[in-house]
Amino acid sequence: MATVTNWIDHLSAKEVAGAVYPGVGTEGILVLIAFVLWIGWHVLAAKQESDKLSKLARKRHGPNDWKSNVTDG
Amino acid sequence: MTDQLGALTTVFTEFYYWITVVLMFLIHVGFCMYEVGASRYKHHQHTLMKNTMLIPLVTVTWFLFGWWIYWAFPTGPGLAPSIMNESAALITDESAFSAKWYVPNSELMAVNLGDHISGVFWAAFLLFSWTAASIVSGAVIERITTFAFGILAIAIGSCFWVIDAAWGWHFDGWMLKILGYHDAYASGVIHAVAGGFALGILAVLGPRIGKFSSSGEPRNIGPRNPWLVTVGLFLIYTGFWGFYAACNIPIFDLGPEYGMEGVTYFTATNIYVTPTTLSGITMNFLMSLSGGLLAGYLVAKGDPFWTYSSGLAGIICASAGNDLYHPIQSMIIAMIGVVVAYKLHYWVERKFKIDDAVGAVAVHGYAGVAGLIICGFVLNGYPSSGYSVGAMWVGTDYAPINPLGMFLGAIIMFVVLGFIPGWIIAKVLHGMGKLRIPREVEIAGLDYEIMEAAKDDEKSVASASR
Repeated sequence: MATVTNWIDHLSAKEVAGAVYPGVGTEGILVLIAFVLWIGWHVLAAKQESDKLSKLARKRHGPNDWKSNVTDG
Repeated sequence: MTDQLGALTTVFTEFYYWITVVLMFLIHVGFCMYEVGASRYKHHQHTLMKNTMLIPLVTVTWFLFGWWIYWAFPTGPGLAPSIMNESAALITDESAFSAKWYVPNSELMAVNLGDHISGVFWAAFLLFSWTAASIVSGAVIERITTFAFGILAIAIGSCFWVIDAAWGWHFDGWMLKILGYHDAYASGVIHAVAGGFALGILAVLGPRIGKFSSSGEPRNIGPRNPWLVTVGLFLIYTGFWGFYAACNIPIFDLGPEYGMEGVTYFTATNIYVTPTTLSGITMNFLMSLSGGLLAGYLVAKGDPFWTYSSGLAGIICASAGNDLYHPIQSMIIAMIGVVVAYKLHYWVERKFKIDDAVGAVAVHGYAGVAGLIICGFVLNGYPSSGYSVGAMWVGTDYAPINPLGMFLGAIIMFVVLGFIPGWIIAKVLHGMGKLRIPREVEIAGLDYEIMEAAKDDEKSVASASR
């Protein structure tokens, strides 16, 4: 996985390779993982929010009911 | 880097942009504070979370495709040929500033010893993207779902504003060549587009419950925490310094860049690679802030909320030409922008029943549009680029700055890439039933359950004996 194992060898090469992160060459897979995480987050967050809003809507609180929940700080 | 002077220039530039990113972070802190201060108590925490979550949503998409759009789209595509490869297609070839290097799997989109600039430049633009999305966030508080806002934030932050940046805020942009567009500190490319986008959403989203009486008279739902609003706006001003600096290239030799044989001319430049000075734009920034505050105080009759917002609107209005204006011109332009924004805000509110909770459409949208139009007159005849000067509509050279081109540019920003996409996406989300929170939740307060849980915790702690 390590792209660099010896800085002296790396920096004294005729052409110094710029990319030094682990797993150079696997960028495509990393991007794919990022896409899956991104889409997945939206799906989960949307469901979570929808459930929360439906639950609260069913209780039909009045416009001033929240005042009884104000903490004393 | 093997020679010391080249290394110093590169590392200075790298550090310069890095500092601007840190400063611009304060814009977002300011927006969060401002929005929470403007919202009602029962919606505070949701308001904060909505604006906070745009940070990761826009950042990830900016990495995946936003940055690529900026470098790919300057030609339209199909509207004016690139000066790099003379093609009007998307710029994805091997040329130096091609989008090819900024796909998310590029080796330059990471720690790379051969590239000290791409990452900080990417980040500076990303912070502009957060700002575009955050402008929208304030307008829609207390009734939009976080899901819908997330989609809309991605649309404006990683797509539509960056298309306009490629077109009108890039040395190779077609709007410079065909229209003579000039917008040095983003009156249009960030503020007008985000303001227009917000207005498009508001037209679909509708007002907060209680905002308008049954006869259609608007009611004031003022800021609940004026101190948070105050500190928030001061922080936005502070971050704006970073924004101005980030719009410049700090050191550049224009001699070889413009092909001037034997000429060496080091200077700071704006984003179009035409000369300006950090010193001069600092004067203009402060004079336009002052003009905005002065006009806002008068027109709003000393109302603190509008006076603070007017400081911002003043800077935004003068920003298009603040690389070249005289400081007193900046101040006057800022004053005009504030009067236009303030009057239009209340006219639109009454006429179309638009509930812009924080005046974002006015401060960013109307002031931005006014700034572009004024810039067309004040800078009429200046070259829009240093590379060449040509005629309007042709596209192979750069048209000079002119009133018609700037007016058309303002329409592209506010309407074409702002209002219309915002309206369409909001319509789709509305059609899916995902745009607005249920009426019962809006009445109860988005934070109801969090507050209820906090109260229960408080009771259980208070009744504990050990």
